[in-house]
Amino acid sequence: MENAENLKPEESLRLIDSMINTAKNKLADDGFHLIFWGWLVFGAAMSHYITIMMNIPYGYAVWPILMPLGGIISGFYGYKQVKKDKVKTYIDVYLGYLWGAFAIGMVLTLVCMPKHGIANTYFFLMILYGIATFVSGGLLNFKPLIIGSLFSFACAGISVFIGESAEQLLIISVALLFSYIIPGHLLRAKYKSQNV
Amino acid sequence: MFKDLDPILHSQLRLAVISLLVSVKEAEFTYLKEQTDATSGNLSVQLQKLKEAGYIEIEKKFKDNYPQTICKITPGGINAFEEYVKNIKSYLTKH
Repeated sequence: MENAENLKPEESLRLIDSMINTAKNKLADDGFHLIFWGWLVFGAAMSHYITIMMNIPYGYAVWPILMPLGGIISGFYGYKQVKKDKVKTYIDVYLGYLWGAFAIGMVLTLVCMPKHGIANTYFFLMILYGIATFVSGGLLNFKPLIIGSLFSFACAGISVFIGESAEQLLIISVALLFSYIIPGHLLRAKYKSQNV
Repeated sequence: MFKDLDPILHSQLRLAVISLLVSVKEAEFTYLKEQTDATSGNLSVQLQKLKEAGYIEIEKKFKDNYPQTICKITPGGINAFEEYVKNIKSYLTKH
């Protein structure tokens, strides 16, 4: 692009429109964190459920092992991404605040788990999933995330009626499948198609 | 005919840069170069003009031992851009 000074008004508007659209259409999320956390928590919940069904002791041990490990991997990936990005959009900033608040809420909910009781905690976890994916879907203008978040809210509501049972683990797996895993893979496919 | 138009913005490359920066929080020099297809030399000169007009801020840093130039629009730059768009639109409605 050269520095022609004799721009016509129509050309100016076309140029502004094209540059703004270039920046606006940059998809701010590659779906990595949704896919990674979706499968990790899904896998942990299913393993825990299977150990309960097969009467294998200490099945809950998957949580304190996998979740901190997930935090380290996810944090490392996020750090690398931030360093690699050549542009920071306002959506990047808002998503950062949203998922930061989500992480704090998640850690607090898990720390308070013994106080609230394990069965009651699933409700709050799924509400947090629902809020984070609903707002992310809105910011990214990505309907599968918004629809998926509704499954999380619905599963949270259902979990209240399940009570103290291993089936809570199945409910949270369904919430993750629809609000994280499926939208995450769809988001990644869209991101890749934009960056071919 | 264009007497109301800001001469700093009424230039293809500077207008493209400001239009990109108005939509993002900040952008690296390499991103602006890729999106505008400008040469490094020309882009540097035009960025300097925008900076001197107070429309953008330029921050020079190091990333993995390589120099990195980050550009950000200022509130003055946003006002100038809005004024420019308003003037262009009013010209188009009159003609």
